[in-house]
Amino acid sequence: MAAHGTAERQGMTNSMLGFILFLASEVMFFGGLFAAYFIARADAPAWPPPLTPEQIAEGVHLELEVLLPAISTGILVLSSVTMQYAVWQIQKGNQGGMLWGLFISLALGIVFLAAQLYDYTQLHFRADDTIYGTTFYTLTGFHGAHVAGGALFIAVVTVRALGGQFTAENHEAVEASSMYWHFVDVVWIALFTVLYIIK
Amino acid sequence: MLGMPLRRRLRLFVATVTAALLALLATGTASAIQPRGITDEAHLMNDLFWIVTIAGLVVFGLVGAALVYAMIRYRRQNDELPPQFHGGGKIEAAMVGVPVLIVIGLFTISMIILVQIDDKAQDEALTIDVTGFQFSWQFAYNLNDLGTNTDPNAEGTIAVIGTPANDPILYMPVDEPVEFLLKSNDVIHSFYVKDFLYKLDLIPGRVNSFTVTARETGDFSAQCAELCGTNHALMRFTVRVVERDEFDAWVAAEAARQLGDGALVSTSGTQGD
Amino acid sequence: MATVAVPQLSGYHRPAVLDWIMTVDHKRLGILYLYFTLFFFAVGGILALLVRTQLAVADNSFVGNDAYNQIFTMHASAMLFLFIIPVWAGFGNYLVPLQIGAADMAFPRINALSFWMLPPAGILMFAGFIVDGGAADGGWTAYSPLAQQTGVGMDMWIIAVIVLGMSSTIGAANFLVTMFRMRAPGMTMFRMPIFCWTMLVTALLQLLATPVLAAALVMLFIDRNYGGQFFDPNGGGNVVLWQNVFWFYSHPAVYIMILPGMGIVSEILPVFSRKPLFGYKAFVFATIGIGGLGFSVWAHHMFTTGSVLLPFFGFMTFMIGVPTGVKIFNWLGTLWGGSISFPTPMLFAIGFVSMFLIGGINGTYSAAVPVDFALHDTYFVVAHIHYVLFGGSVFAVFGGLYYWFPKIWGRQLNERLGKLHFVLMFVGFNVAFFPMHMLGLDGMPRRIAVYADSAGWEALNMLSTGGAFLIAVSMIPFLIAVVMAFMRPKDQPDDPWEANTLEWATTSPPPDYNFDSLPPVRSERPLFDARHGDEAH
Ligand code: HEA
Ligand code: HEA
Ligand code: CUA
Ligand SMILES: [Cu+2]
Repeated sequence: MAAHGTAERQGMTNSMLGFILFLASEVMFFGGLFAAYFIARADAPAWPPPLTPEQIAEGVHLELEVLLPAISTGILVLSSVTMQYAVWQIQKGNQGGMLWGLFISLALGIVFLAAQLYDYTQLHFRADDTIYGTTFYTLTGFHGAHVAGGALFIAVVTVRALGGQFTAENHEAVEASSMYWHFVDVVWIALFTVLYIIK
Repeated sequence: MLGMPLRRRLRLFVATVTAALLALLATGTASAIQPRGITDEAHLMNDLFWIVTIAGLVVFGLVGAALVYAMIRYRRQNDELPPQFHGGGKIEAAMVGVPVLIVIGLFTISMIILVQIDDKAQDEALTIDVTGFQFSWQFAYNLNDLGTNTDPNAEGTIAVIGTPANDPILYMPVDEPVEFLLKSNDVIHSFYVKDFLYKLDLIPGRVNSFTVTARETGDFSAQCAELCGTNHALMRFTVRVVERDEFDAWVAAEAARQLGDGALVSTSGTQGD
Repeated sequence: MATVAVPQLSGYHRPAVLDWIMTVDHKRLGILYLYFTLFFFAVGGILALLVRTQLAVADNSFVGNDAYNQIFTMHASAMLFLFIIPVWAGFGNYLVPLQIGAADMAFPRINALSFWMLPPAGILMFAGFIVDGGAADGGWTAYSPLAQQTGVGMDMWIIAVIVLGMSSTIGAANFLVTMFRMRAPGMTMFRMPIFCWTMLVTALLQLLATPVLAAALVMLFIDRNYGGQFFDPNGGGNVVLWQNVFWFYSHPAVYIMILPGMGIVSEILPVFSRKPLFGYKAFVFATIGIGGLGFSVWAHHMFTTGSVLLPFFGFMTFMIGVPTGVKIFNWLGTLWGGSISFPTPMLFAIGFVSMFLIGGINGTYSAAVPVDFALHDTYFVVAHIHYVLFGGSVFAVFGGLYYWFPKIWGRQLNERLGKLHFVLMFVGFNVAFFPMHMLGLDGMPRRIAVYADSAGWEALNMLSTGGAFLIAVSMIPFLIAVVMAFMRPKDQPDDPWEANTLEWATTSPPPDYNFDSLPPVRSERPLFDARHGDEAH
């Protein structure tokens, strides 16, 4: 009965393909937000947009410090490396190496989130202070939420790894979480470049 | 009809439906003749409309005829299996080639016409500032910018402001280019004059403009064409195209009414300043 | 019933309702989708009748201006988001695994999740009618800044549409994996039934376009609720931005709404012409072409904003006529030289071809930019919408229902009633929507609750309203036919139509795991091969 149809093809599993498709839709979601940012910025007469006297009186100013986010970027990139390290280790069957990779990535991810939250408290503008504030918080906020989701994913994988669930042949969840993590990393690099570097 | 054999009933049905459709189509296009438009730009657009209509009718006629023909000619008559062809290179190439040609033709013509319609306003054109708001219009005339043939340049603006209950009237002179500047401060509206065969949106945060030259005098009803809230349907106005002297007289009267007697010295050829 | 000892799971039986609620079977989910979407077709239709009643005469005060805006907004929202888009997921769920010879979808549980996201979203959207300020009333396009002025019903609408979008995105991933990886032996991509191909391209469009709509809706939600300035020029935002992002989704979405219908038509026409689909590969490439081009034409909805590249978008829009024309010729070529019979599914399929042709041609009017300056936001566009979506998609829905009814429910719908249904619907449809062309040319804007007597639009509007009610009447024979069918035993053979594709190789309705055995698949018509041997090629 089940001889037909369910026979899976060579190569990646159904779940992996499904996961990749899901990532594609995530890319399009961020693509939409980025496109909005670019259109708004290209069309604005000045960037950052001028503030009203009331806003200036309240002490609003539209500026970003680069140092802390630059360090955060380094941390996130590093965590991508350690995540990939975890994948390579388990591909070789080294559970211990994988665990280290996972732990460190998770820790770095959490540091990144903390730094991001701290950075928010240092800013002199809010989401309702011009399109500048709105796009900034929307983009970084949705990214942060995805980092948090990715960290949760890694945490679950770590717990399963502690239970010894992954082997050289069977470690799809590790690969999926690492792909997801690379994805949020790449989005961040794009965000960092666009929001902090291109002034 | 019920006593007929199925095939004849079917054929009759098909024929009736086709006839009805063609009749509808014919009336449809016939009634399309009515809004010929009153501006140079509208006349261009009307030419394009007819070109597209003819192309569309030809495509519809050929495809429709082939469809009806196939349905009648190849209806099932016996249980034999018809020849099983799957398609062939040449026919398939034609399926792409012919539409590509039609499409390129139509596109080229529409671009030529678009460029002609888009001819930018000459500096001397009369400018009317149109502001849309929920739910009516304001038409403002700068007395300094009343167009080529006006002598009396003076400071100040006159404005016509409507209410949903009281539709405003937009005065414009015939036979000369008039530029419209479109603005909005609340939501998007659309400045739509049926007899211009044209509309353009009023978008908060930007100014849109277009120029037309009207060729007929008279009153033409118009209204907002972009959903803008509760009373969108009531955002109507009238375009009154008049001869130049009549326009000048109207401006003078309005200026006197809105700005006081001295505002406009004269409208009948005496130099203002 | 049977007295012989059949091995059975003994003991506890779940109540049937629970069985349906807990099901992860693609066929049952497909049926749930169909019930759900047809219900919202009726809801959307009743709202349309309110619209038509209001517009029947000049200066009418049947419903107020505010209520009118809510009614047509919710009419379109129901028809698009709760009927047409998910109805294809319904057909797809039922048919794709059967047509490719699989036992189920790739991810049955996720499949169930996709379906169960719909009812809460539908309820949320319609609950707008009972809150302060009423339901969403900015049109289904929710143009900003207008969409920021209205009440909480708009927030409910936004959330509902986001949820519906998520449902269709994960559903799309499910369809793609199913078709890429679950095909029966011998079922190569180019032997997949055409309906599957159209579902595949549709799923790709959903996967890539729907998240962009989600992004747009999120921005709108932020502007409405958290002081965002995306669409507010006073804060440096950009009003037209909404339209760009919205249409980036919503133009591909119109192909999401039509491609599976084209697939259904391409299943029906060959069967009742007793010929293969003419130019199978050309059809597949045309489908892919429409999908691809569909991403590059969005600004044709914005020609009158004065802020888009008119030549580029005009050209791309014209170009979409080319692959679509290929399909029209595929269908003609299929009929040509065939041996054509006209049972109800075939009538709806031919109805589709002819009415969609009109809808495509009147869409081409708007591709000619200067013509669109006149026609945009008039009833000419409303005519276009309904010729493609009703004359196209809805005709395909009914064609598909009549065609697969025996397979899904094991019973046949009455032919006489079916033909009556078709004739009434076809006539009613044309009477309702053809006059809208003339109204549009005569300058009647869309989305207006009232028009002045002096405008001279009353006669045609009255005619159109009559047609709309005729469409409603046409549903009566359909409903009678359904009730009559359900009162009969399940007596349908596996393959009542002498069809071509695998779903007809199993019983009607199919057993839990779909197939006891599969015929060999050596072409896109395995059942035809089985019936006639290979010599008939
Ligand atoms: C199922 C849905 C569907 C489909 C398939 C289409 C198909 C097309 N649509 Fe339509 N459209 C809508 C649904 C759809 N549309 C909706 C809902 C709106 C309104 C949205 C709103 O504002 O609310 C809209 C609005 C809309 C507009 C904006 C109008 C305006 O607001 O001013 C335009 C403009 O170009 C357009 C164009 C087209 C074109 C060119 C096609 C083409 O795909 C059609 C191609 C088909 C053919 C051309 C016929 C067959 C071809 C041949 C026989 C070959 C030979 C023909 C030629 C060479 C021309 N559509
Ligand atoms: C799939 C899409 C779809 C479908 C099927 C329809 C179907 C219909 N539409 Fe709709 N329509 C749209 C999509 C659709 N529409 C869209 C996208 C818009 C634009 C909205 C906007 O501007 O934002 C629009 C706008 C629109 C307008 C313009 C409103 C305006 O601009 O002011 C009008 C006006 O006449 C209209 C009429 C109708 C009518 C009469 C039908 C009829 O064909 C409906 C027929 C159906 C029935 C009559 C229901 C039958 C069922 C029963 C009678 C109940 C039986 C009971 C049970 C089964 C329990 N529609
Ligand atoms: Cu202003 Cu509609
Ligand atoms: Cu479109």
